[in-house]
Amino acid sequence: MQKLTKATLTGICAQMASHSWSEEEINELVDPQLGIITGFQDLLNELEQLRKIDLGTTPPAMSVQGADRHE
Amino acid sequence: MNNNIAFQSVKSLRSMLQRGEITPVELVDTFAERIERHNPQSKAFITTTIDIAREQASQLSRGDLTGSSFAGIPYASKDLFDVQGVRTSAGSRVFHDRIAKKDAFAIAKLRAAQALSLGKTNLHEFAYGATGENEVYGTAVNAYDPTRLAGGSSSGSAAAVAFGLVPAALGTDTGGSVRAPAALNGLVGFKPTLGRIPTSGVVPYCWTLDHVGLMTRTIADCADLLSIVSGYDPSDPASVNRPVENYPEALDQDVSGLRVGIPSNFYYERADDEILEALERVKEYLVANGAKLVPVTFPDMGHSRTVSLTVQMPEALSAHSAYLQERGCLYSADFRAGLALGQCILAEHYVKAKRFIEIYRQQTNRLFDQVDLILTPATPEIAQKVGTVKVTRNGVNEAIGNAITRFTTFFNMTGHPALTMPCAMHTQGLPIALQLVGRYFDEMTVLRAAHAIERSDQFSIPLPKVDA
Repeated sequence: MQKLTKATLTGICAQMASHSWSEEEINELVDPQLGIITGFQDLLNELEQLRKIDLGTTPPAMSVQGADRHE
Repeated sequence: MNNNIAFQSVKSLRSMLQRGEITPVELVDTFAERIERHNPQSKAFITTTIDIAREQASQLSRGDLTGSSFAGIPYASKDLFDVQGVRTSAGSRVFHDRIAKKDAFAIAKLRAAQALSLGKTNLHEFAYGATGENEVYGTAVNAYDPTRLAGGSSSGSAAAVAFGLVPAALGTDTGGSVRAPAALNGLVGFKPTLGRIPTSGVVPYCWTLDHVGLMTRTIADCADLLSIVSGYDPSDPASVNRPVENYPEALDQDVSGLRVGIPSNFYYERADDEILEALERVKEYLVANGAKLVPVTFPDMGHSRTVSLTVQMPEALSAHSAYLQERGCLYSADFRAGLALGQCILAEHYVKAKRFIEIYRQQTNRLFDQVDLILTPATPEIAQKVGTVKVTRNGVNEAIGNAITRFTTFFNMTGHPALTMPCAMHTQGLPIALQLVGRYFDEMTVLRAAHAIERSDQFSIPLPKVDA
């Protein structure tokens, strides 16, 4: 996976349905300075690791109604 | 009389009311005077509703005061809860003019119980962040050391109870936002099972991880408050339709016979030594009183924060989409950056994260085949100085918000009930707290063990010296 660039994010926001983010906000995603939870590149790297883990047929989590089930 | 009342439990105040030693109006006035005196420093409240509370208090008869455990008792709620006719600011400029049309579910239940709302408490804007820093309404501070953070996002609720401005408060907890600030301020903080308390009428941050939580001085008060605000609301998709138990009944038993899980991974790693030592003393107490400690291994936690974040930010973006269009310039810079991040997460990422959460739930449920409860530290660090950005522990640098909630976040994903309570004082004069986690909808066992620990003098901590 290539390193994320500002041009990529700018292109995504311009060419897909998106809210309007300022240049500073896109800069913050590429090179975080505000102490937000994490940088986007770091998150993408983690997400790429998650993508490679096979969860079989496990569905997404929903309500805990009837959550006494174990399997 | 002022200071004697300020740090009393709800149970004690109730007895005073029922004996006629104080009236509900006098109680409101006492706390109102304290709010006026301490709010400039604590920054606990965004909005006060003293006149409304005084009017409601004046209409209560002696007979009314026996109607519920919170009749005539003042409380506060995080400024995400709708209180009819009162602004819900969410700690943001964006909602500067948002007046609630009806009560949130929990507020309506407290109103029916004739509790008296004294106002709305401060928070990290829209609950986005664990430090409680707020550029609009100021940063709520720690009652034990006002140069330190109260923690967040329910920072004002913690400060309000810890400074003796109310005896109980409501907050919300999406990654530890009730339990962590309660822990840092020497209070009880409880996030019951996902769906036990409806979130209807609470401004959402992340629908599928948000929980309503409680902050009190004592476990008994927590049990009483839980009995009032629990219930079912079909308008909340996460709400679960099952009977509300009589939680105070849980307090009659000790810990004898309980199997208490002690995690062998993650929770006893990379934490302040004094916190770990305090937890050892709790373990010794449990064993000495007939509980059995059982080692348990949690699922791999390495990705859990990423999983949580990947659910939080797209949901927050969706919740704020309309406001972003209309009032985008009124958001603070850090929250806008977080929402922008939510925009860039792919749908497949979101669904994968939700599937991981299902795995976490199944694996954590299996642990409860072996144990009745799990014991962990509440936080890996004590309250840090206002303005702290990173915490370094064992050579690892960690953003302060991540550190504050490192031991709490997981149970928002799994949805298990989790309670934090004080168990020692750090040599730096700040509270240390433990966390107890139970099976789904087994709040009774969590409260039972917590109450037993609370009754042991060795775990009590001194009150903060806010009136010195």
